[in-house]
Amino acid sequence: MSEKVLEVKNLKVEFNTDRGVATAVNGVNFDVIKGKTVGIVGESGSGKSVSALSIMRLIPNPPGRISAGEILFKGENLLNIPMEDMRRIRGNKIAMIFQEPMTSLNPVFTVGNQIEEVLELHQSHLSSKERREKAIDMLRLVGIPSPEQRVGEYPHQMSGGMRQRVMIAMALSCEPDVLIADEPTTALDVTIQAQILELMNKLQKELGMGIIMITHDLGVVAETCDDVAVMYCGQIVEHADVKTLFNHPQHPYTKGLIESIPSFDSTTGEKREKLATIEGMVPSLFDLPQGCNFQDRCEFATDECKTKEPSLTPIATEHEVSCFNPLK
Amino acid sequence: MSDYLLEVKNLTKRFPIKGGLFGKEVAAVKAVNNVSFKIKKGETLGLVGESGCGKTTLGRSILRLIEPTSGEIFFNGEDIVKFESDRLRQVRRKMQIIFQDPYASLNPRMTVGAILSEPMEIHKLNIGKEVRKKRLYELLDQVQLPKDALNKYPHEFSGGQRQRVCIARALAVEPEFIVCDEPVSALDVSVQAQVVNLLMDLQKDLGLTYLFIAHDLKVVEYISSRVAVMYLGNMVEVAESHELYGGSRHPYTKALFSAIPQPNPNIKHDRILLEGDIPSPMNPPTGCHFHPRCWQANDECKQTYPSITNQSETHEYKCHNPIQL
Repeated sequence: MSEKVLEVKNLKVEFNTDRGVATAVNGVNFDVIKGKTVGIVGESGSGKSVSALSIMRLIPNPPGRISAGEILFKGENLLNIPMEDMRRIRGNKIAMIFQEPMTSLNPVFTVGNQIEEVLELHQSHLSSKERREKAIDMLRLVGIPSPEQRVGEYPHQMSGGMRQRVMIAMALSCEPDVLIADEPTTALDVTIQAQILELMNKLQKELGMGIIMITHDLGVVAETCDDVAVMYCGQIVEHADVKTLFNHPQHPYTKGLIESIPSFDSTTGEKREKLATIEGMVPSLFDLPQGCNFQDRCEFATDECKTKEPSLTPIATEHEVSCFNPLK
Repeated sequence: MSDYLLEVKNLTKRFPIKGGLFGKEVAAVKAVNNVSFKIKKGETLGLVGESGCGKTTLGRSILRLIEPTSGEIFFNGEDIVKFESDRLRQVRRKMQIIFQDPYASLNPRMTVGAILSEPMEIHKLNIGKEVRKKRLYELLDQVQLPKDALNKYPHEFSGGQRQRVCIARALAVEPEFIVCDEPVSALDVSVQAQVVNLLMDLQKDLGLTYLFIAHDLKVVEYISSRVAVMYLGNMVEVAESHELYGGSRHPYTKALFSAIPQPNPNIKHDRILLEGDIPSPMNPPTGCHFHPRCWQANDECKQTYPSITNQSETHEYKCHNPIQL
């Protein structure tokens, strides 16, 4: 029934820097299931994007290095295959869309050229005429008006929302099994964001791909994901299906994140209460505390949290939390 | 004397586009078009809209950081558009601004102490070493930064702390009015809540008046007593913030609010998906600027720009076919 297309197991990514080794991702596990969306949320520097880039094997080496773990794509460990084979998978079976539609398209080629390049690399049996037709089809699929004309335009002739649609068209042109979306709507306005999320949802239903949605916006998570992993300082601190996570968050950090979003409940116009906050700030990766990384900001921290490192433990079916004192 | 601290009347800002051999004006972008509004003392007016709608231009025009093309800006009853540079400087002491990007708006070569002292030097306030120092500590205390921050440089701080420095800098000259131009957009969620709380506390303690510009509607709705919605340089709806959400009359406002992803997977809310993009402000559509994307548009909308309808004292909108409540 639920077919795992991608399994990330115990992934650990380190970066060598002048100040020592920073472990950006430390023992991360998650699965991507066909036709489902897994969300990875966290604040800047929590290791969300590094996890995604590791799957694509796009971590610059040096200074970065995947020091442990496995990434199984349909049972095959992507970390062990030769670069040449990886190139055949990347952009073909596993595709990625990035945050900045402004900088991730090449300004000197038309968008048609850029989509055709993907097809040329991965579907070499197509003739150039077929490639152009396919590029136009893809633009039509992502809802770009008059695609026959737009295919010959350059990125600067398009708006931000249009460019993100082109990025999606490019990523989907080879019908990938897994789509990694790294903050796909962060740079866009809300009305355009709604269009893009709707489009991704529709295309997922049509093509049945698994999506990894990386974002810091819990609203986007609640509306698009089936499964959510919350990251903090390179580790997953809580992992559950989307309803459980929002209704019964167990990790104090997850709860803090959810409560710090202003909501529209206050339609009465009465004096508002203060927003709930998480005190302090994310510790630097260079001096993480001993024990739990969240202890300094946690109101429930005990002596145990200061000495022992918690690990992700199941507390219910499909709900794991990495905390000694999970919320009731 | 009226109880309005700021009153803006028919403010317009055009940016000419020059072209051709002799730099003749070939077109113009009307970034802000005939905008009028008032802010009461101690109130927060939220200003929302999508990128390019003119909210930042409006905010900066009010301080005359961008010279408005036409219109009047009454601050404490005086039209500051007519002021010459000396008087303008004096009035700017009362009007400050906090920018979006705390990474770009602090000079990396100046210590926090120097950054906070500079506005006081310009306005010749708190002269004397001891007095100045006392004031600096007071400012740091107000924004909840430690005392040793004075000798540190901006790069030693996180985003949220830098934004606190920016807030302290604005407070240094004891302003009455602060334009907050997307002050929390660049911050992480947990830090964002801290800064929002700080701004609200300061308002209560010091009696400040804010124009709070942001594209995050949830934050704006939370912090503001009234909210104004802009679209392509025009203010299309103004209302009390609790009235706007749920009781909006302009279709654009309604669509904008419905587009926000809700952090609650239990409710499935009806979403109005707007077609297409925002038109270019260089060449806005005829009639109501919103008509090509509006599902309620008729022929009238295509021809004439709607005038202001006052629904109540606090709620006004510009639409021929408002949403029926």
